[in-house]
Amino acid sequence: MNAPKIPLPELMTSGHLACQGCGATQAMRFALKALGPRTALVLPACCWSVIDGPFPHSSLKVPILHTAFEAAASTASGLKAGLEMRGDTETVVMAWAGDGGTFDIGIQALSGAAERNEDIIYCCYDNEAYMNTGIQRSSSTPIGAWTTTTPGVHWKKRPKKKMIDIMAAHSIPYIATASVAYPNDLIEKFRKAREIKGTRFLHVFAPCPTGWKLAPELSVSMARQAVTSKVFPLVEVTDNGRTWKVWKDFEPTPVKDYCMAQGRFRHLSEDELRLVAEGIEENWQYLLSREAGSAFVPGLQH
Amino acid sequence: MGEKITFKSYKEMPICAMSGADMTYNLTGSWRNVRPYYDFKVSPCRLGCPAMENIQRYIFLLTQEKYEEAWRELMEANPMPSVTGRVCFHPCMEKCTRKDFDQAINIPAIERSIGDRGLDNPGWMKKAPATKKETVAVVGGGPAGLSAAYYLARRGYPVTIFEADAVLGGTLRWGIPEYRLPNDVLDRVVAQIVGSGPITVKTGAALGRDVDLAKLEKEFAAVFVGVGLSRSRPLGVAGEEGRGIERGLDFLRRVNGGEPVNPGRSVAVVGGGNTAMDVARCARRAGAEVTVVYRRTMNEMPAIKDEIEEAEHEGVRFRFLAAPKSIERGASGPLTVVFQQMKLGDPDESGRRRPVPDGDATFTLSVNTMFTAIGEEADAAPFGKLLECDGNLIATKGEWGETSRKKIFAGGDVATGAASVVEAVAAGRKAAERISRMLSGEPEPAAEETGTISIENINTAYFTKGKRLLVPRIPLDEALAGYREIHTGYDDRMLRREADRCFSCGVCNFCDNCWVFCPDVAVRRLEAEYEFDYDFCKGCLVCVIECPRCAISTREEGK
Repeated sequence: MNAPKIPLPELMTSGHLACQGCGATQAMRFALKALGPRTALVLPACCWSVIDGPFPHSSLKVPILHTAFEAAASTASGLKAGLEMRGDTETVVMAWAGDGGTFDIGIQALSGAAERNEDIIYCCYDNEAYMNTGIQRSSSTPIGAWTTTTPGVHWKKRPKKKMIDIMAAHSIPYIATASVAYPNDLIEKFRKAREIKGTRFLHVFAPCPTGWKLAPELSVSMARQAVTSKVFPLVEVTDNGRTWKVWKDFEPTPVKDYCMAQGRFRHLSEDELRLVAEGIEENWQYLLSREAGSAFVPGLQH
Repeated sequence: MGEKITFKSYKEMPICAMSGADMTYNLTGSWRNVRPYYDFKVSPCRLGCPAMENIQRYIFLLTQEKYEEAWRELMEANPMPSVTGRVCFHPCMEKCTRKDFDQAINIPAIERSIGDRGLDNPGWMKKAPATKKETVAVVGGGPAGLSAAYYLARRGYPVTIFEADAVLGGTLRWGIPEYRLPNDVLDRVVAQIVGSGPITVKTGAALGRDVDLAKLEKEFAAVFVGVGLSRSRPLGVAGEEGRGIERGLDFLRRVNGGEPVNPGRSVAVVGGGNTAMDVARCARRAGAEVTVVYRRTMNEMPAIKDEIEEAEHEGVRFRFLAAPKSIERGASGPLTVVFQQMKLGDPDESGRRRPVPDGDATFTLSVNTMFTAIGEEADAAPFGKLLECDGNLIATKGEWGETSRKKIFAGGDVATGAASVVEAVAAGRKAAERISRMLSGEPEPAAEETGTISIENINTAYFTKGKRLLVPRIPLDEALAGYREIHTGYDDRMLRREADRCFSCGVCNFCDNCWVFCPDVAVRRLEAEYEFDYDFCKGCLVCVIECPRCAISTREEGK
């Protein structure tokens, strides 16, 4: 057998409590393969606080500090400061939060940490709703989606929050989006992040078959189609928010195919789907303009 | 499997909420209702190959840079890849799944590269010792006979090949010009086969003239007859015997023997098969203006499509729906041939539409030479008395080449009528296997697995569209200046590039996707395979979808 393209050592074990086809577990597995065993995790309330397993068991071979929903970034900042006081500069501290804990509940702690440019990695694994508590909408839920709090005709009418822009406005050294469908790219980005000092924000797209009313076997396939239909573009923002890079080397696929495979979008009419697709194209053009105008976006030196 | 920690009292608990063991006590395999399992299929190319070459496997070995193993895999099914890689009509490519994505893999070019590598590394072929006492006679040293001899000799049977000509090769030597199959390549292929085991060659021994089939049947434990088709079919037109008219095969034999030929300025070739194409192209090389006249249309031509294209490329002209009607010749100078215009009527027994005269329409051609290449037939005289025949051909039962005599087997064109090199090779191998089973009492093999896949089973997201890498060729003027081989073959880089295009349909090639994408870490990556850990596999089936090549199947639990 050839040498594997991704690292062999496993820092996540079998027996965890994730649903069938869970994208969040793939994200964790890849991220830890990239970061290695000298990693300490901070987990606010999110799917992963359940997936990991009940006390006194854990399915991860790295230390985890469970913390309150809104406190991931601040706890991580404190943990890093504590490690530094003890002379440990090698261990990387990663806050690992869901989209609810990042886009909504944890955003002030995250903004504070980013503004102070704390030396932490903050990873948001994005399954586009509060899945763990029963599929309630978050500000990451995309326009058009069904959730238990946006049921029936009251499907979500507001677009997904532009989190990458918010983070870029904090002038932090490294921001990237990644997808579980592209593990090599994901691992490369986490490795890159590990080598950088300051706040690094990673946004990982992680399908949730349960919350998306999706057949579990299609989970990776959906993550891939999210990228190729431009629903979730792969973006890297470096140089303290100045330089934007959008990955374009793929065969485009229709937004409609992506939506229609998932139960959460199946209520949408042709017209509504067209509006959704238009919004996605608009966002794509916006990203391209950010990429083109990279040099003119002012950022702070630190 | 890990242990589950249970605390009997608070005193056993750690001072803060801290984990003490992993989660592997929790056997999540109990959640599963559908089970994935590795289930390799037969790639469609293999089913398309008359010799059942394991194409997927040898291409996979190439991508691993295991050249010798690739060559061994190929030689299991075909002892002359350097020949078939050059002259085969490659039905495998018609079946290639990649054809429905971008373009089929260039399988013959890959086959040729592997075969040539085997010729360049004589150490790869280790001579098999004579381990059996039963001896086998092989009559005919063409592709069928050489193939039968090879597979018998590799099993340790002493083989004697009886060949009518002075050298081995048969139709490969006399029927295929050097620009497609150079003599030195053929010589090396023949030498490799003859040197592969206990093979004795008796040349100048024609069946019926020097060798008697009934005598061979007595002297040898088994006999394989693969004498091919030796007689050109006559046109059935008055005046076809005489100056200016030659059998195409005779002409090719002279050309391939290195004899100088001069068919004159203007040449007509009657026929639409490979022989007609080869004759036309050789006549082009001898400086003639050549017109191929065929009684049906381009669509019905039995010649390999590549050969027709090459002939057109080299300036051979075609006239369809015409057949010679009469020949007029003076004491010297060009002949005048009158051709009857034809049209297509009802389908005949071959399924092609039968040409019938189109009224009285005729045209004439003035030619220096007209070659006839309308097919060959067997001469049944040497075997007709002993063996049951089907017309002039030896009647065989099933795929193993059994004839009406228990000890005599037959294969190749003499049993099937005009077919292809690869079919002859396959027939030789199958007869050899059957003979070996008869002599050693081995049981019949289990029926071949034929479960295959198609483009719908391929996850095309993992592949990028591209083009087939064509084999480089020499310029047209150089090609027409002599009999130099037209195609120069792949170099290592090209070979690797084309091999990397293979989908590896239905068979694992260790791409790691199942292992990488398993959310439950339930795929074990072992030395030479993957293994599902059913203690933990939750049955999400992500691996089934993400396997690019459909090497994983599913089964409902409890059924």
